[in-house]
Amino acid sequence: MTYYLVIFAAGFAGSFHCIGMCGGFACALGRDPGGAAATAGRHLLYNAGRLTTYCFLGAVAGALGEMLCTSRGLAVPVLTGPLDGAQQILAIVGGLLMIAMALQFFGLLQRFQAVTIGFGGSTLAVSLRNLLTSESRAAPVAFGVFNGFLPCPLVYAFAVQAASTAGAVPGFLVMLSFGLGTFPAMLMMGGVGRMLAPVWRQRGVWLAGSFILLLGLITLGRGVLPLSAHLHALPQGSPG
Amino acid sequence: MTERDDNLCSHCLLPIGLRAMQRTVNGEDCSFCCYGCCIAFQVKHGRSEEWEAAWLLIRLGVGAFLTMNIMLISLLLYAGTFSADAWLIPWIHLLLWIFATPALVILGEPYLRESWVQILQGRVTSSALVVLGVSAAYAYSVFATIEQSEQVYFDTATMVLMLFTIGSYIEAAGRAKAARDLEPLLAAESECATVVEGGTETPRPVRELAAGVLVRVRPGERVPVDGVVVEGESHTDEAVITGESRQIGKCSGSPVIAGSINLDGPLLIKSSGAGSATRWAKICRSVREALSRRSVIQRVADRVVGVSVPFVVLLGVLTVVYWSHSMQFDRAMLIGLAVLVVACPCAVGLAAPLATSLGIGRLARCGCLVRDPHTLEVLARARLLAFDKTGTLTSGRPRLVGIESEGVATNEVLARCAGLERHSEHGLARAITLAASARGLKPVVTCDVRATPGRGITGNADGQPIAAGNSALMRELGWQLAPSLIELARSMEASGHTVIYLGWEGRVRALLALDDTPLAEARSMIAGLQSLGLHVALLSGDLAPAARRTAAAVGIEDLQAALSPEAKRAALDRFRQGYGVVAMVGDGLNDAPVLADADVGIAVGSATDLARETASLVLPTGGLWMLPWIITVARRVRSTILTNLAWAFGYNLIALTLAALGLLQPVLAAAIMASSSLLLVVNSLRLSRLPDPIPGAILEPPPSAEPDSVRRGLGVPVMAGPAIERG
Repeated sequence: MTYYLVIFAAGFAGSFHCIGMCGGFACALGRDPGGAAATAGRHLLYNAGRLTTYCFLGAVAGALGEMLCTSRGLAVPVLTGPLDGAQQILAIVGGLLMIAMALQFFGLLQRFQAVTIGFGGSTLAVSLRNLLTSESRAAPVAFGVFNGFLPCPLVYAFAVQAASTAGAVPGFLVMLSFGLGTFPAMLMMGGVGRMLAPVWRQRGVWLAGSFILLLGLITLGRGVLPLSAHLHALPQGSPG
Repeated sequence: MTERDDNLCSHCLLPIGLRAMQRTVNGEDCSFCCYGCCIAFQVKHGRSEEWEAAWLLIRLGVGAFLTMNIMLISLLLYAGTFSADAWLIPWIHLLLWIFATPALVILGEPYLRESWVQILQGRVTSSALVVLGVSAAYAYSVFATIEQSEQVYFDTATMVLMLFTIGSYIEAAGRAKAARDLEPLLAAESECATVVEGGTETPRPVRELAAGVLVRVRPGERVPVDGVVVEGESHTDEAVITGESRQIGKCSGSPVIAGSINLDGPLLIKSSGAGSATRWAKICRSVREALSRRSVIQRVADRVVGVSVPFVVLLGVLTVVYWSHSMQFDRAMLIGLAVLVVACPCAVGLAAPLATSLGIGRLARCGCLVRDPHTLEVLARARLLAFDKTGTLTSGRPRLVGIESEGVATNEVLARCAGLERHSEHGLARAITLAASARGLKPVVTCDVRATPGRGITGNADGQPIAAGNSALMRELGWQLAPSLIELARSMEASGHTVIYLGWEGRVRALLALDDTPLAEARSMIAGLQSLGLHVALLSGDLAPAARRTAAAVGIEDLQAALSPEAKRAALDRFRQGYGVVAMVGDGLNDAPVLADADVGIAVGSATDLARETASLVLPTGGLWMLPWIITVARRVRSTILTNLAWAFGYNLIALTLAALGLLQPVLAAAIMASSSLLLVVNSLRLSRLPDPIPGAILEPPPSAEPDSVRRGLGVPVMAGPAIERG
């Protein structure tokens, strides 16, 4: 439970990053002429769409992780003996990826950022504008769903985290916690986003980066520590 | 343009075929070849004020929302999250049903509509397979929900539809990316030109432009009409007309060709003809026609697809029946569903048209017109290329190659002859005057010039009578030939040269030999073809010595001369027995029937209109050097089609086997199908990265930056011709 709370907190901190990127969309979604309740409904639908996409991505990532771990060809793991080697490798790769993405939040690894953001996102973003101005009541849901698929290092980081849990359900829960964490800020978008000075928003982004860095280190540690402990226990001359 | 709407998909520019979808986007009627193109086009071009485009996205988004929720809930069910509270499960099934029904309607409607239209026309297509499989899974799940059994498959039904939709969208986006190069080739007449009238600039469609209109062309734009520059200075690139990509300087008074690209400065052009009569417009019409035709391979593939669908349905039913003996019906049904989904032969239908479109577009951008997609496939298989001589391998214009005289300097001979011949319009006369001016000679002033048709020309220079013409003219004048020249004249005529006798003061004093010389690029072009493993032959209507000389000069060993058009056809038939597929290259003046008779008739730019009609591939003027490159492109297109087909069929067969054995989940099967079409698109896209033809690599003397007429004309000094050896 604590684990998911940490992720929720990370999502909350990360939502200051969301304000910068997706907040504009939420603002553009605007007010409904039907009154405050209708406006709230509109934003709830939008966020429900977004959350669904996140959860789905989490479940798929978790399921992929599970597939990688359970379908490993080696019946007896060479390196780690009775321990689950594939899961550890997954944890190491996932941890490293998360650390790399966390560093982006501190303005490092800019080239990596170009790779993660520039991946086919522009056409999608352009087409999304069509939906913003639509009168339809269902448009916010559709918009939220597509928005969830927009390239975003934050989402990638937590999807990697979800994959490293190596299970569809825990993966789903990771992304659910993260998505719920981004809820408050995105719901309050109009108010919070405007009130916060850019300095504070930057601090929020750093905070989110720190959380992801922490989670990445923990994930990496989960993979490396038992492995290295085991390697030390092995007689000398083990492959490596 | 209605023609376009009828034939080619608005999005990916492939032929629409039988399964057109009509939609109105941005107030224009558009046709699409598939649902994916319909989505992708509206995502890309739909304006936000257009209800249709937004509505499509909303539907997809809501469909995705429902599908993902169904998937998540089902996932929790499979993971046994609710196993402690078993009473909940029927209610969850009900919830899934409530979610799945609108998702099915939203996502499945286009597939249902398409299959319905096809079934009304008596055809079953691959979308019917999707509809059948998905509705079976849905119907079973509804019963299962009502019966309160353990398993429902709403997730499979909706997810398969979602994956098919996404797959076709991605595929269509990839195809459109591939076809981006084709777009300017189809737009010649529907494009707008900026017309300047009375100081104001108005955009008007090119096809409405008449001669004498002033058109403004900004840098980066394509010149819409043939005309003359009135104002401005710039460089243009005429690659699409001449095949050669280089910058040509233009200033006030320079002619410009429609289709060339204005590179640096704005130009004001006065059109010299109608916008729809330019070669550029003809190229575009020809490309459009070629694209909308279907090649043989494609027709076979389509037929295979059409025949296979009922078999697949049968196989699906048999699979269900077989597996239902050994396992529960719902499991068996799922395996049958996987069979239906994975057997969808979507990729097979895509194997050829994309590759041929890219190939045709690639060639058209260098000015080479392909009349039919089939041409490329046949040309790739050709093992023999037969050439016509005159006007194809040679310039078709006589050139001075040698001067023999009796004690007179060559320069004097040439100056005297040019003084006389410059009064004539004859082709031989032109060769003489050009040779003289190339040497910087001043023609001797000649008066009282009279031309005798069929004989030659006579006049007076420095008070002396002078005559140039054939031996008959000299006999008539009674002028004697020196004995040393008699022998030379005989040997020149025997070797197929045209000989001009030049005499003054009552004696024949010099012989001028003229010949039709091979093009500068011919030799390296032939070598290029031979290095591609092609056998090259020369079929000439000319005399044997002349043909032999040309053959030797360009490096052809297999030659047949003095052939009538009928004899050429017979020779081609003999070649066909030995080599299978043969191609013929000619200018079409007297070989139009031969071009029509060859498996691939290739006409070179200067060809007459008749030859263009009978040839299936037309090269631009002076574009012979591109021939090896064209063969390479054709071979690449064919190998791409074949690998595509092998991949599509192989993939389907393997996946089908796995599915029938129950080793493939339906959702996974749908994902595999989507990626299969995508792989074909990526494989075909490699064609658009084919290198441009490089003239330098093929022409041994690198091409000068002068116009064709100069390059091919009389730049070579007299006496340096390959043919005549003195004495």
